[in-house]
Amino acid sequence: MIYLDNAATSFPKPSEVYRAMDEFFRERAANPGRAGYRLSMEAEREIEMTRKALAEFFGARDTQRLVFTLNATDAINMAIKGLLKPGDHVITTYLEHNAVTRPLNSLEKQGVITISRVRPSPQGFIGPGDIEKAVTPKTRLIAIVHASNVLGTVQPLRAIGQLARERDLIFLIDAAQSAGLWPINVEEQCIDLLAFTGHKALFGPPGTGGLYVSERVELRPWREGGTGVDSQNPVQPKEMPYRLEGGTPNFVGLVGLKAGVEFVSRMGIHNIQRHGQGLIHHLFHCLEDDKRFILYGPPSTENRSPILSLNINGMEPQVVGTILDESFGIAVRSGLHCAPGTHRETGSFPQGTLRISTGFFNTEDDIAQVALALKEIASSERVTA
Amino acid sequence: MKTERYLRQILFQPIGHEGQERLGKALAVVVGCGAIGSTAASLLARAGIGYLRVIDRDILEESNLQRQELFDEEDLKEGLPKALTAEKKLQRVNSTVRIEGINADLNPGNAEILLKDAQVILDCTDNFETRLLINDYALKSQTPWIYSACLGSQALLMNILPGKSLCLRCLINSIPFPGTLPTCETAGILAPAAKVIASLQVTEALKILTGHQEALISGLLDIDLWKGTFQIMDTQTVRSLTCPACQKGEYEFLNAKSFSLTTTLCGSNAVQITPGGSSARNGSKIDLSALSQRLQSLPDITDVSQSPYLLKFSCRDKSLGARDTMSLNWVIFPDGRALLFGTKDPTLARTLYSQYIGI
Repeated sequence: MIYLDNAATSFPKPSEVYRAMDEFFRERAANPGRAGYRLSMEAEREIEMTRKALAEFFGARDTQRLVFTLNATDAINMAIKGLLKPGDHVITTYLEHNAVTRPLNSLEKQGVITISRVRPSPQGFIGPGDIEKAVTPKTRLIAIVHASNVLGTVQPLRAIGQLARERDLIFLIDAAQSAGLWPINVEEQCIDLLAFTGHKALFGPPGTGGLYVSERVELRPWREGGTGVDSQNPVQPKEMPYRLEGGTPNFVGLVGLKAGVEFVSRMGIHNIQRHGQGLIHHLFHCLEDDKRFILYGPPSTENRSPILSLNINGMEPQVVGTILDESFGIAVRSGLHCAPGTHRETGSFPQGTLRISTGFFNTEDDIAQVALALKEIASSERVTA
Repeated sequence: MKTERYLRQILFQPIGHEGQERLGKALAVVVGCGAIGSTAASLLARAGIGYLRVIDRDILEESNLQRQELFDEEDLKEGLPKALTAEKKLQRVNSTVRIEGINADLNPGNAEILLKDAQVILDCTDNFETRLLINDYALKSQTPWIYSACLGSQALLMNILPGKSLCLRCLINSIPFPGTLPTCETAGILAPAAKVIASLQVTEALKILTGHQEALISGLLDIDLWKGTFQIMDTQTVRSLTCPACQKGEYEFLNAKSFSLTTTLCGSNAVQITPGGSSARNGSKIDLSALSQRLQSLPDITDVSQSPYLLKFSCRDKSLGARDTMSLNWVIFPDGRALLFGTKDPTLARTLYSQYIGI
């Protein structure tokens, strides 16, 4: 089986991720921070080491301001619902995943906030100038996706971040697709809220993720409960990370996430990126001159994650996806990818696209095979149509 | 209890006053309200059963009227789910029976709720997947059930008594591979054959509910009305000592492991069906050419085309009635998977899949 759905979740994981989780879960998985005994302290230490590793990875000076969440969706909800107040105006884009779109839309629908949505270029890039034009005196937040999960296009964070800082706006990044693939530095890119997931390019297990919250922001906790510290306090403590981290965390998963982040650091983010871009470049090269294919997004791999969305003329992406799975043993995602706005902008709504997303463990041979399979499927359709 | 109403049945000695009284407190569930189910439900209501639950997932169609006796042309105009129309009709037949018409597709998620407390389950379905689900529930809850089937002029019946007889999985082990068996849609059905088997099925149900298990037909009854043949196959020799369901207690259809998966596709107006059953995982393939030939002979089917990877055809969404017909487009893959474009309704997709491809 050739797995090419790494934008949904990376698979397989580096073997050290499985090993670290198995060893920890079997030998040392006591509840962290809830008791003074040795095992518990050790679990607590693992969590703090993961926190430290991630804070460093994202260039965050204050480790305690990085809180753990279930995934990027959880982190984004925590940020949006913990920050916005009645009357606030938010700037976002048409490239967003539903993880950003839906929480914002529901607040808009309830009459709490107003939203301006910035359109991308036909290739899928957001212009900082367009963001600037949307700013109003009421604007509080700019919420944008770093790398599009449909097109792979990567947005200029630093330029938008600086703009946000100049105007004293809060800058929220959905880094679900980019964390582990693209350099992120919350200081240099002026990011106030960084939401990421553990199970994609950071190679952790599902059920892990996090939110970095800069000193400029104080969030209302939307999940309250036991913290293992300050238990006499009748309400959620003010201190980070406890303010946003009620309940037993997925500490077994976090041990895996730490191993994943260490893997990324060891391999080097640029090497991982170059590998993925090489593969997508190869696929692009195989298909770009074939008129039976519609390729979405920019024609190069510059500022692009290893994602290629495409369609075969006259075929439903779900049909192509099923044939790839059944007759060729190739796993890809087909449909709307939870980002209907992007599909509208690129003319692939409502049928969606076939999305090929490579990972670190894919090879040139995998790409050659998927290209061949796609051409064969396109030919078979012509005969019978 | 009104003796007068049921006098002729009470006079029948094996039932008597005692049997009638037991019947008046009993709950039977009829799964599927088609040719067999509508007759069976009607007979049970007339017999004075206490509680009757009728489960069906479909909307009435014109082609149902040829054989489904609970329904008429007025019902067709109303366009209601068959389960609800059946409830109304049955209540008119016998107002003393507590009747529940349930418009639902029996599946692993609801089976234990919808079949709960049944003292007998009458299988009046058109597919093996639902039958194996009933089989699992019946074994788990020790509920007797009666398998029935009808195709062309042939009809089949078998009593399944958990712990006493073989079970349906002993007989067929797993679901026949999709597209391999004829269905009512492809082979037709003679209404009298359905009536005969429904009558026999209700007779068996009455034996169970009045405490006369000794009188039950043992084995698989096989009738052909056209040929005029009537035979009982001895099933004791077929009983499997390695049957996962009745010997090992592995209820793979009830716990959803082997049940088909029906999902509405994100965005597109389409439903995907992934057949369950162990056969689907053994690399078996549908003979797309044979299926294509069978479908091409049907009046409802248009635009049949085939490639090495798939079979496409269109059918009408008959649930909307004759006045407003929508075309539904099927794509069938060799491993039995299917995509149905033109609807977001998983139940409709399952109904049509079992009608045209068979499950």
